[in-house]
Amino acid sequence: MTVVTQNRLDPLLAEPPPRPSYLLRRIVVYGLLFAGVALVLIPFLWMVSTSLKTQEQLFVRGLNFIPNPAVPGNYLEVWNRLLSINPQMTFWRIMGNTLFITVLAMIGEITSASLVAYGFSRFSWRGRDALFAVMLATIMIPGIVTRVPGFLIWRQLGLLDTYDPLTWPALFAWGPIYVFLMRQFFNTIPREIEEAAVMDGANVIQVFVHIMLPLIKPILLAIAVLSFQGNWNNFQGPLLYLTTPEKFPLALSMRFFDQSLSKEAPQWQYMMSMATMMAAPILLLYFVAQKYFIEGISVGAVKG
Amino acid sequence: MDLSVFNTYIPTLIRYVLVALLLAGGMFVIYRVQLRFGARPEAAAGRTLVMPWVVGFIIFNVFTIGASLYLSFTDYNLFSAPEWIGTENYQELFDLSFATLESADQRSSDALPPRHDEIIRIQIGDGGFVLGAREDGFWRSMRLTIVYAIVTVPLGLAGSLVVALLLNQNVRAIGVWRVLYYLPAVLPAVATALLWRWMFSSTGLVNTALAPFLNVLGVPAPQWLTDSTWSPVLFIIISLWGVFGANSVILLAGLKGVPKELYEAVDIDGGADWAKFRHVTIPMLSPALFYNLVTSLIGALQAFEVAAFIPTPTEAGTFLNWHIYQEAFNFRNMGMASSMAWIMLLLIVALTALVFRSSAAWVFYQGAREGA
Repeated sequence: MTVVTQNRLDPLLAEPPPRPSYLLRRIVVYGLLFAGVALVLIPFLWMVSTSLKTQEQLFVRGLNFIPNPAVPGNYLEVWNRLLSINPQMTFWRIMGNTLFITVLAMIGEITSASLVAYGFSRFSWRGRDALFAVMLATIMIPGIVTRVPGFLIWRQLGLLDTYDPLTWPALFAWGPIYVFLMRQFFNTIPREIEEAAVMDGANVIQVFVHIMLPLIKPILLAIAVLSFQGNWNNFQGPLLYLTTPEKFPLALSMRFFDQSLSKEAPQWQYMMSMATMMAAPILLLYFVAQKYFIEGISVGAVKG
Repeated sequence: MDLSVFNTYIPTLIRYVLVALLLAGGMFVIYRVQLRFGARPEAAAGRTLVMPWVVGFIIFNVFTIGASLYLSFTDYNLFSAPEWIGTENYQELFDLSFATLESADQRSSDALPPRHDEIIRIQIGDGGFVLGAREDGFWRSMRLTIVYAIVTVPLGLAGSLVVALLLNQNVRAIGVWRVLYYLPAVLPAVATALLWRWMFSSTGLVNTALAPFLNVLGVPAPQWLTDSTWSPVLFIIISLWGVFGANSVILLAGLKGVPKELYEAVDIDGGADWAKFRHVTIPMLSPALFYNLVTSLIGALQAFEVAAFIPTPTEAGTFLNWHIYQEAFNFRNMGMASSMAWIMLLLIVALTALVFRSSAAWVFYQGAREGA
């Protein structure tokens, strides 16, 4: 990353009499930025606000963003409702399912992506760049093409309605984007660093564990965060492979709950409290680790 | 809490560990075999490290794509063996028809051959044309998906460029702005799809906010979810909400990487802001723009969650990805679904190739800027 070599001082202080055109420009810039943020935040706030409303408040016309009275009990009640539809779908069960899938898939993705990217970037071998191009091309393959045969494979293995299709295939670097981001990062590390270690007789695994891993920590964290988000939010995979409601992760439980409600009286306060609950851990992770999120998604484009 | 719960976790966990061990063992063997056959240790190590991906690629991509191509020439409902029917699926899909309308109020289905239904209807004065197909659901979804991609990709790109340029104006607390703009991209698609369905319901937030304007104009409130003319608009609005942040972050990183000297050079030549934008910003940003263009095009063509949570009226079609999913797993027409998936694959490859071909003309790589 380039360090922006500009005066760190506030430009308003640095250039004493600001020209009117400059001020005008600032006003326009901030005005547009605020307008954009409002557009981003309004739906989000509406979700949180709805999740705290009573059924009657939902259909009061008008822009009531502040629920009165606020009912935080919706967050518990939604799980009681879900239990009354299916007595196996407890909060802990659904959370456990979601975490189980997310964590296993994430570990698989990080491990395999870092090893594969290492092989694609730090070693020279015939056919490497061609194979890498093939890997990038797989980004284009729409999931729907491989979905039917994929389903048939798992059916043949007798592993439908288990977590297998959602977890261990991650060990085979199923996310080409992560390998790509990782490789871009590896390419920025000077070669001399590991050459010294190789001279000292370290083998591939030692070099990777003791020299590379500490150096690639930022991108590892970035990918961990992106991968956690991706698997936590995953909907297509569970929809395809899971059929027993008590095995559902959050995303699928939301669909299950949605479909069990009558179309005439959708209980949006419960739907939105579930949506908020599903978003909350991701948001928390995002605020804590936003540096890595940003780094993860920008590394590919800048150095591309 | 009963312990049988763990019966769903433990077997998967065991198989996970076994697969990991097998993979590691396999890698070790492959490394050894290569050395035995006299490969350079460096090359052997590199090839071994990419093994996991190669194995996954062969099983989950090469094999499945081959199987999908085969299935696309069969009739298969999961319960009996696939039956080879040649190009019948494709013939049915490309069974299109074209008719002219005699009067403005003639129904499309009367003008078209039996079992065909309207995809596109163009009314000109008292007559017009209508394009129909036997698999009208597929083609209407194709229409919706393409319209969606053609509108959202350029708008999303332009919008995110504007946001990135604004954020690059030396604004204070850049981190806070960036976090806020990126927010839609981290929210689960499932949660936001439901949220939008709630906001766009007939008495929802959107119509409530629009009500004063609609009253002045004397227009009835749009029925976003049930009126097919609004369906594409609805999805375009939803997509634009999400796309600004994710793409802006990438473009902003690109903007921060533009060397200041280039702008100074334009200043010396007496160029104005527009000249800076046109001759420095755009060329320097073109690799990032290109990356965004490719990823958002592929993403737009594969929209899924919004379609799963926001039902559309039949006349509007739905997203291709969802239409094909239903064909396969709700109607169990695995063969037909595979043919549709192949048409979609070819469409994506063709459009991406087009973008790549055009990139030679407008994407500028500054080769000498290694390690910048």
